[in-house]
Amino acid sequence: MIEAENISKTYSRGESGTVEALQGISFQIGPGEFVAVRGASGSGKSTLLNIVGCLDQPSSGTYRLDGEDVANYGDKQLSRIRNAKIGFIFQSFNLLPRTTALENVEIPMVYRDGHVDRRRALSALERVGLAARAHHFAMQLSGGEQQRVAIARALINSPALILADEPTGNLDVNAGREVMRLLEDLHNEGRTIVLVTHDDAIAASASREIQLRDGKIISDRQPSAKSSLPLVEGAR
Amino acid sequence: MKAPKLVSQAMRSMRRYRLRTILMALGIVVGIASLTVLSSIGEATKRETMQRFKNMIGTFDTIIVRPGGGRSRGMPTLVNVPPTLRFEDADAIARDLPEIRAVAEMQTAFDVDIKYRDHAASPAVIGTSPNWLELRSDEVQDGVFFTQDQNAALARVAVIGTDVRTVLFPDQDPLGKTLRIADLPFQVIGLLKSRGAGPAGGSLDNLVLIPVNTASRRLFNRDFLTMVIAQVKDPERSSEATEKVMELLRERHHIRPPALDDFTITNPAATMAQVTRASSTLTKILTGVAAMALLIGGVVIMSLMSIAVSERWKEIGVRRSVGATRGDIVSQFMLEAILVALMGGIAGAVIGWGGMQFATRMQKLPQILVWRPFAAAILLSMIVGVVFGIYPAWKASRLDPIQALRS
Repeated sequence: MIEAENISKTYSRGESGTVEALQGISFQIGPGEFVAVRGASGSGKSTLLNIVGCLDQPSSGTYRLDGEDVANYGDKQLSRIRNAKIGFIFQSFNLLPRTTALENVEIPMVYRDGHVDRRRALSALERVGLAARAHHFAMQLSGGEQQRVAIARALINSPALILADEPTGNLDVNAGREVMRLLEDLHNEGRTIVLVTHDDAIAASASREIQLRDGKIISDRQPSAKSSLPLVEGAR
Repeated sequence: MKAPKLVSQAMRSMRRYRLRTILMALGIVVGIASLTVLSSIGEATKRETMQRFKNMIGTFDTIIVRPGGGRSRGMPTLVNVPPTLRFEDADAIARDLPEIRAVAEMQTAFDVDIKYRDHAASPAVIGTSPNWLELRSDEVQDGVFFTQDQNAALARVAVIGTDVRTVLFPDQDPLGKTLRIADLPFQVIGLLKSRGAGPAGGSLDNLVLIPVNTASRRLFNRDFLTMVIAQVKDPERSSEATEKVMELLRERHHIRPPALDDFTITNPAATMAQVTRASSTLTKILTGVAAMALLIGGVVIMSLMSIAVSERWKEIGVRRSVGATRGDIVSQFMLEAILVALMGGIAGAVIGWGGMQFATRMQKLPQILVWRPFAAAILLSMIVGVVFGIYPAWKASRLDPIQALRS
């Protein structure tokens, strides 16, 4: 599914030189894996997620997504990939505030072929348990509800890959648990999930854990069997 | 992304940011409204001026010769012109110049009392040739015009304008009645169709026409003319014909340079061109002022749109992350700018139309619906939307989605 080879990402910081956010890392993620990416802030995990999500491109190295070498792709091709293959879930939800839950869910369909299937959007909301709030504005929803709308939005084009950047970071424990349960369901359906977190408990849901420090992978634990530990607050 | 979805999405975001949309449109409303009003007024004024000018002149294929060298103001009459233009001059112009199709001789006098029973009026009394109707493109509404035979026979017949009819014959048919022009009886044989107002706003219907020979020998006892109207065969070459008439009259009057002409020739086509040019300039100035207003409207759109873009960074980031291309973002913001401008343009055109109705009523201009400024207004507002929307839209599309999401 994901093949990253010797990926580096360098940001220029004006006259004070450059920052190497990623220093030649390589890894592969197979279809259906549930991977947690961990590391302190500034370790490069967000940069990694952006590259994996085709929002950014590596400064050097090759990145293949579903066999496509996207390193040389232009704006249109990258946008198509983001639209069709990837679903993003952000820490701050990133819903359009003065827009209803339903309309938020519909946005990715607009950019696919312009055909908006309202019933499909409603059933996606139903799936995250928010059908009743479809016509509420995003800003009227609680944090947990907003994140569930964001999950429905990520799912609407049936992407194979779900990228979640600290999805529970802004949520209380119960809402966080609900979001993680949804992510696990998606994983059980066979979707590939890459999750950035620094919460041990959250990371425990994943079947594999990649640790980053200073732009390098310092550990890549791949337990033989998928962890089926229930999510327990404060575990480990 | 398909167009209908794009439009409905743009409309939605215009509703979402209602106040900003209204403010943006307002600049265009003012610009377009003033553009339509001012250019319509300019156009209406121009047409009105031309119409009045045409009312006075009649046709444009004529040359007008008046006695006296300097251009005298107002209508030449028997008391204010030198006796230099003679019947023989008119005959010679008609006879000797192949460029000329027909000639009308005129003797005009004001301050002549006209009476019918106890009604009195003092219109212009004009002795003229029977070909007046064609040369002035006048029409007889009732009755007939006098003939060459009547002119030769010094017949005492008159054709009156509608103003004279109103004063002298308020509630009866003037045809066949006998009115008195300076105590001389004349039979009314025709009533002219109304011509309306002249360029200065005065009525062109306050007149009595009689045969010029009758006027000369029976009424005024003058053998000189106040005006000769010569109709040219080829209106395209009226200035050449004007030259010829000038040469002929100089020769007949024995005028050699440096002596000054004792006659004045005006060529209505040339005068008309001048009048038209002057009012076109007015129209251009008015339009220019309004265009400035529209330009300001465009700048308002651009600045508000730029603010909108920076306030909507996050939205742009979200859209990019779910698959919007740069082109999609450009289209979205461009479309919003165009729709806002179009909305403002239509509202401005409607307000402008109302303003024009008001202005024409106040100015007593004719109610001319000049549709061109309105069509132009709609088109122009769209162009303003494109021109001033393109920079903010482009800026929005160049935004790094990661930065945008982080904002």
